[in-house]
Amino acid sequence: MATEFHNLQELRHSASLANKVFIQRDYSEGTVCKFHTKFPSELDSRIERTLFEDTVKTLNNFYAEAEKIGGQSYLEGCLACATAYLIFLCIETRYEKVLKKISRYIQEQNEKIYAPRGLLITDPVERGMRVIEISVYEDRGSSGSTSGSSSTTSSSGQ
Amino acid sequence: MPSGSKSGGAPGPTSPPHVTSPSRPLRPSRYVPVSAATAFLVGCTTLFFCFTCPWLSEQFSVAVPIYNGVMFLFVLANFCMATFMDPGIFPRAEEDEDKEDDFRAPLYKTVEIRGIQVRMKWCSTCRFYRPPRCSHCSVCDNCVEDFDHHCPWVNNCIGRRNYRYFFLFLLSLTAHIMGVFGFGLLFILYHTQQLDRVHSAVTMAVMCVAGLFFIPVAGLTGFHIVLVARGRTTNEQVTGKFRGGVNPFTNGCWRNVSHVLCSSQAPRYLGRKRKAQAVVVQPPFLRPQLSDAQLAAKVLDNGIQGDLHRSKSSLEMMESQSADAEPPPPPKPELRYPGLSRGPGSHSEESSLLNKAPPTPTMFKYRPTYSSPGKNHTALTHAYANQMSRGDSLKESSSSSLLQSSQQPGYRSEPSLDGREGGGGGERGVSDRPSGAPGGPPGPGIPGYSLGGRSYPSFSDPTVLSGVASRSSSVRSAHNAPPSEATTSTSYKSLANQTPPPPRNGSLSYDSLLTPSESPDFEPAGQEMSPGRTRTPVQGYSSPFLSAQIAQQREAELHQPSAPSASLLSSPHRAAYLRGSASSPPPGPERERLLQDPAQPTPPPHHHHHHHHHHHHHHHSSRPPRFSRPPLLSDSGPPPPAYPYRTRSTDTPLPPSTHPPRSPHPPPLGKSLSYSSAAAAEMQYRLVRKASASAGGGGIQAPKDEVQMKSYSRTNGQPRSPLSQSPSSSTPSSPSHPISLSTRPGQAYPSAASSQSPAHKPGGGVKKVTGVGGTTYEISV
Repeated sequence: MATEFHNLQELRHSASLANKVFIQRDYSEGTVCKFHTKFPSELDSRIERTLFEDTVKTLNNFYAEAEKIGGQSYLEGCLACATAYLIFLCIETRYEKVLKKISRYIQEQNEKIYAPRGLLITDPVERGMRVIEISVYEDRGSSGSTSGSSSTTSSSGQ
Repeated sequence: MPSGSKSGGAPGPTSPPHVTSPSRPLRPSRYVPVSAATAFLVGCTTLFFCFTCPWLSEQFSVAVPIYNGVMFLFVLANFCMATFMDPGIFPRAEEDEDKEDDFRAPLYKTVEIRGIQVRMKWCSTCRFYRPPRCSHCSVCDNCVEDFDHHCPWVNNCIGRRNYRYFFLFLLSLTAHIMGVFGFGLLFILYHTQQLDRVHSAVTMAVMCVAGLFFIPVAGLTGFHIVLVARGRTTNEQVTGKFRGGVNPFTNGCWRNVSHVLCSSQAPRYLGRKRKAQAVVVQPPFLRPQLSDAQLAAKVLDNGIQGDLHRSKSSLEMMESQSADAEPPPPPKPELRYPGLSRGPGSHSEESSLLNKAPPTPTMFKYRPTYSSPGKNHTALTHAYANQMSRGDSLKESSSSSLLQSSQQPGYRSEPSLDGREGGGGGERGVSDRPSGAPGGPPGPGIPGYSLGGRSYPSFSDPTVLSGVASRSSSVRSAHNAPPSEATTSTSYKSLANQTPPPPRNGSLSYDSLLTPSESPDFEPAGQEMSPGRTRTPVQGYSSPFLSAQIAQQREAELHQPSAPSASLLSSPHRAAYLRGSASSPPPGPERERLLQDPAQPTPPPHHHHHHHHHHHHHHHSSRPPRFSRPPLLSDSGPPPPAYPYRTRSTDTPLPPSTHPPRSPHPPPLGKSLSYSSAAAAEMQYRLVRKASASAGGGGIQAPKDEVQMKSYSRTNGQPRSPLSQSPSSSTPSSPSHPISLSTRPGQAYPSAASSQSPAHKPGGGVKKVTGVGGTTYEISV
């Protein structure tokens, strides 16, 4: 009986990590942080192309904004020099602010779009901004009590 | 010295926190330079302030010590930042990221940056391909982004994050030294009569030290000023990377300087707070609804955009027919060779595509529009063929797609491709071809050939298979439709309305694999393919076509001599393949039977398969092919230099010992992925072998075919040869397998070209053959 109950629970929450898709960096414009927007074929059956491309394009825009050399970054540099870089203890740099925005955006995308499709995007900064890692989950269905139990394994936790 | 002990007693600043770097043994010698530098800097400046500055402030103004104080503070701040700041260390890649890379990966991956080919080297410690400008520091044992150099004076790597501070440290130190020396000189000049005083002696000592350090520091400062202006790193300058060449990373002097000085502080990769993933992934999962146009686009989308328009338009036409299943009209002759007409354009696109590092392995999955009950039908073969032909790097995802397809009832990748080919063979008017076999073994010795001659075996779906069986004639004519892409989509559409077949159809594909191994079975298969079919592969397709042809040639020749070695290699892999594909509900004994077919020296799975296959290719490139086509394909490129597989196997650390242990593993996620790709590769290999065997049986060469082959080899060869040169020039070990699963950019084609050169399909009749790339083409026998 206990096993049955366990199986039922498995039935309900069994999504296991099946695969990881890696979106590589696009270096065609140098070392600016930019990811390929090409739709990987593994996600063909999992998510609409437009949604995916929108996500990657938005991320690219965020990174471009973070790396932009303009008034704010110049001011930050001057201020840091003037305070012997002690200002870094107090304020957040522009890049960090944008990274937080990106992290919020990815979280939101995961919640709204990717998790319902059994996908999870990992923040690229956790991978050194070399790849966007998309974890593809498979519905194990009533695979029972054995391995398919980790339903909400977060890719970041791996 | 307090200052010395301060820096000497801090081994931690450069060691990255937590997971990525192993603990390194404490090496006191590493701290000597930084301790000395700190000692000199702080010591001398303190003495200067104590002995020289009081008099100067009285004599001239208080601004003197203030200026010196500020300067010293600036030097110290930059020195501390350069010493203690993370230079931009990349965290080690996780296991999942490099599943396939480690064993089969070429040592270098080429990427195009502003038109310049830049090599990315595989870092075996960090387990990823180093991004451009990244280098692995042996002292710190880390890959550092925008690696400049490892500075012993600060005992830290100088990279993207702390280069600015290092540069400013140098500038400010130079200024500081100049200031100290200058004001000391002023002091001395005013105290020439009191040189025996302590103050004077100390000042003179400080001046000596300053003067001594000024020359190297100023030299280094000047050097880095030039580097910043030119947008280079020390590493690049010292290794002469851009000597006489163009630096793709420079944006002009002003922008380079502003990038160094004014850009926002780059983020740290290590030691970041990882917030727990709050998102819950729970089935059921949404799946996208694919439109027919999307399906066609997917089928055809091997990166050649031009095809899409054509295929889409033909698709629209076919969409209306979806309900009636009316056979599409026969192909128009002028549309038969799309690849030829679009050759040059496609070539450039293809080469540019190949030159780019592909973002992800692009196994195109073809999903049928109809919803089979509870099954995800993924047609893998076509995608697989495309991928191999395009030389995209086949990584985990491709394996995963293979895995997924194999997991579905009725394994649908390569075997069904073969089955299609067989089925298609019957279309071409071979009498013994069954025309209406509803999914059962259609004819004598050609089981599972229910589908019509399909140049694009993208529909490995058993539904499609069974559907085609009942409508094989329509399918065949659909296949004869002009562009291969349109044809496939068309035929798919016509099949789309078929009811899903019983899972047996999956086994049918295996049957078809089994039977075509015997040459007589191939006769009809070959005959069913029209000459036009051979042309259907467009730019992206022609290479697999040619490579398949060559492969067939080779296989035929190689069949006997290499059979024992192949079988030796194949047995564990075959078992592995079985295991890998066994995750899907096995269609039945047919699959086992097929795989264990002793007549087939099955090649080892995945990379071994490709190795093997490729070896065959190269092996045979030197021999005169059995059929008289060598001169045609030999134009496409000299086979000997492009033994990409061979070079790779020798250059890259590809331990053969690791291979066998790898294969028999029961597939956990990562391993099963490699298995599926191996399985797919094996199937492809079989198909090619069968094709070559059948072709060998023919022996008659049609001049028409020769001409066609010639034109194909030309169109295919030409783009190949530059491609084959470029990777080989840049990376000796990187040229890829033409047919192998581990497709790297720009590499599949050169090897494909080389492999294609010798082999030509002869024949007066038409044999339908599946190429290595999964493309089916007709061979005149």
